[in-house]
Amino acid sequence: MTEEVYKYWFACLRRLASGKKCRLYQCMGSEEAVYYIEEKKLAEFSFLSETDREYVKNETKKGALTEDYERFLELDIKLITMADRAYPGRLKNIAAPPWALFVKGSLPEEDLPAAAIIGARQCTPYGERMAIAYGEKLAEAGIPVISGMARGVDSAGQRGALNRGGRTYAVLGSGADVCYPRENRGLYLDIQKEGGIISEQPPGVPPFKENFPARNRIISALSDMVLVMEAKERSGSLITADFALEQGKDVCALPGPVTSSFSRGCNLLIQQGAGLLLKPEDFVEDLRQRGIVKNKEIEIGNGKKSDKNEKMLESPENIVYSCLGLYPKGIDSLLAETKMEPRELMEALVSLELKGMILEISRHYYSRVK
Amino acid sequence: MSIGIVHSAALNGLEVRTVRVEADLGGGLPLFHMVGYLASEVKEAGERVRTAVKNAGVEFPVQKIIVNLSPGNVRKKGTAFDLPVALAVLSAAGEIPISALEDKMAVGELGLDGSIRPVPGILPVVWKARDEGFKGCIIPWENREEGALVEGIAIYPGKMLGELCGQLKEGTCRKYRAKGKTCRSEKGNSRLDFKDVRGQVFVKRAVEIAVAGGHNLLLTGPPGSGKSMIASRIPTILPPLLREEELELTKIYSIRGMLKEEGPLIKKRPFREVHHTITKAALIGGGIFPGPGEISLAHKGVLFLDELTEFPKAVLEVLREPLEEKKIRMVRKGGAYEFPADFMLTAATNLCPCGAFPDMEKCTCTPAQIQRYQGRLSQPFLSRIDICMDTPAVSYQELRQEEEMENIESSADIRKRVCNARDIQRKRYEADGLKGIMVNAQIPASAIERYCALDKETEELLRQAFSRMGLTARTCHRTLKVARTIADLEGAERIGTVHLKEAIGYRMPDSGWRRAGI
Repeated sequence: MTEEVYKYWFACLRRLASGKKCRLYQCMGSEEAVYYIEEKKLAEFSFLSETDREYVKNETKKGALTEDYERFLELDIKLITMADRAYPGRLKNIAAPPWALFVKGSLPEEDLPAAAIIGARQCTPYGERMAIAYGEKLAEAGIPVISGMARGVDSAGQRGALNRGGRTYAVLGSGADVCYPRENRGLYLDIQKEGGIISEQPPGVPPFKENFPARNRIISALSDMVLVMEAKERSGSLITADFALEQGKDVCALPGPVTSSFSRGCNLLIQQGAGLLLKPEDFVEDLRQRGIVKNKEIEIGNGKKSDKNEKMLESPENIVYSCLGLYPKGIDSLLAETKMEPRELMEALVSLELKGMILEISRHYYSRVK
Repeated sequence: MSIGIVHSAALNGLEVRTVRVEADLGGGLPLFHMVGYLASEVKEAGERVRTAVKNAGVEFPVQKIIVNLSPGNVRKKGTAFDLPVALAVLSAAGEIPISALEDKMAVGELGLDGSIRPVPGILPVVWKARDEGFKGCIIPWENREEGALVEGIAIYPGKMLGELCGQLKEGTCRKYRAKGKTCRSEKGNSRLDFKDVRGQVFVKRAVEIAVAGGHNLLLTGPPGSGKSMIASRIPTILPPLLREEELELTKIYSIRGMLKEEGPLIKKRPFREVHHTITKAALIGGGIFPGPGEISLAHKGVLFLDELTEFPKAVLEVLREPLEEKKIRMVRKGGAYEFPADFMLTAATNLCPCGAFPDMEKCTCTPAQIQRYQGRLSQPFLSRIDICMDTPAVSYQELRQEEEMENIESSADIRKRVCNARDIQRKRYEADGLKGIMVNAQIPASAIERYCALDKETEELLRQAFSRMGLTARTCHRTLKVARTIADLEGAERIGTVHLKEAIGYRMPDSGWRRAGI
């Protein structure tokens, strides 16, 4: 049996904290040595609790290591431990660095600045649209986007980066071979091609709730700045922001209406001194001035901006469009605001939708596309 | 040889088969025996007949009596054979001349005291009797009005067996003349009116279109927004039934024994609200010998399913074929049974467990919960909905606004427009000889090109909608039919872009109401 087999076995010891794994490895010198450890020797390590010892002892009795490893090889997942040279430098200096990373695809490049786009799973079209816009802008500036591939903001930001051919990395709370949430299957495959799926968990581990706060520390550690798009007052995104502050990263938040419960967490972050995210262009420009982004600005046509509204000045469509924003509005409030006849309003809405200017978010709830 | 023969009828679903009831009196030990593929309630008829005859004051022959109901391969069930069996026995015994019975059909149940009791299914039986060339029908007194609905055949209603027997013997049977009560107009539940519904102008518009064209309607929205209130007012804007529709509907209700003794004719379009605990059999009709279910009772009217997501999936899925075919066909051991089921489906539902979705500030459900909740309705079922309308919560101003009361349309106003649109539709399809098509919802796929013809501009609009909004062939057809109705409401000859756009706005979104994923 080769060294790799023991390395895989050791990385898969889920119930042993990574700090303890690290010390155990340092004491024994190699994973193979840990596997063949004697009970007496194991008892000497005071940093291991009784349950830890019991756990390691039971695991060392496990046979069929080669079979397990061969199955792992078929998954096309790379295993990188702290002992490896490829282990990301950004992770080494955090409070509890993961002992091992399972990577499907690649790891973010060491010398490139990276940004995390995070936010609520349940978000408004505003949060989603802004996440996409920031993802796109960062990609254009050559900055990889790191996130958790969760529903809502996370996947929107990563999709945005992919839209512009940028690189993006997803840190999962499940095994790297488990696509969660399932409906993000397409995104999961695309991220593998244009970046990587990263997980601290061994392959096959389902998305356990308790894994998620821990994976958040990896998201913030791999990034140089954390962009919070939408977060409620109690939210996982705020946990990530806390980790980021602890790790000394920049935290920026997207402001929202003070009445929106979806932006309360972001507004609180801003109150506490987080950077204020205005236009994505401004954010990237700021990075450029600070020397974080070095590549040249990609020219994006500015001529497109004001063509839409002029086309249909004073038409019913324009009236309806002006009543809409990024927060969805129901058809009855539109009726009250525009004072139109139902059929006239419906006609205008369908026309706008066909022109691709508005979106029906839910049945008869509409928002602007941009 | 002394044989008595009486004609009667066996009901098999909506189908009626004439049955010959023969009684033979012969030598041998006295006994009463009935044969001819009989259900147990028909076998029991022997005891009822024997006692009823005795109590009617006629002597029951003490002889070997064999009664045969032919054809022997048709299953006979129900209690309507009591009277014909009694008459056949009495005829065989010489109490009634054979000539008095040969051109008549008889149905009815007997009580032990000799009284003739009402039975279900009189209308289809009398109908059949007339078609078969019988001159008259002997039916229970309580069913006289129902029997009299059929023109061109004499009705002889009987109260007591003894009395009837005497009349037949002496040839003094009196034809029954309908009192003309059927002309009485039915007011129905006139307390309900669309005037009571504040706000919700859009929903009212959608309901009007749905009723005008017979389109299936789904109302979504939070609890308390008035979905059920609006649905319960649909009967107040339904157009009147045509004469042939009235009779068709009355036949269905007749088999179920759901007609009133006075004025049995169903003059109002039915509105059947069913609870979500309903079984498949109750909904489409069931049993070993199926009778009409709720969907057939809602024929030519409205079937209302409140809290649609609470219905078991299996129950909703059985609606799929009837929604397309406008009838239900069931095959059982005894043969195939077919009932008409041309109803307009109206359903109401919340969009998430807490009901507040899509108001995300109020909704407390997780995306997974919402998805699971909405996933209870299958896409094939939803794609049979023509009009899907959101029913938002009504604001306080709308609820309490007094001064605009007179601006709110009453049911009578809406009904007038609906009737106009329906007239246009009926005349159009009648003129082209399309039999049985009354509303746009019934246009067959083959005739869509013809009745929903589009000009170049409108065609282009449809093409855009098809690709941009992900319409399918089915939703495309349904949208076109709705557009046709909107045009008819306006009295427009052709479907214009205005009509099509509005119809597109009401279409059932293909991905349900789920937010488009990225």
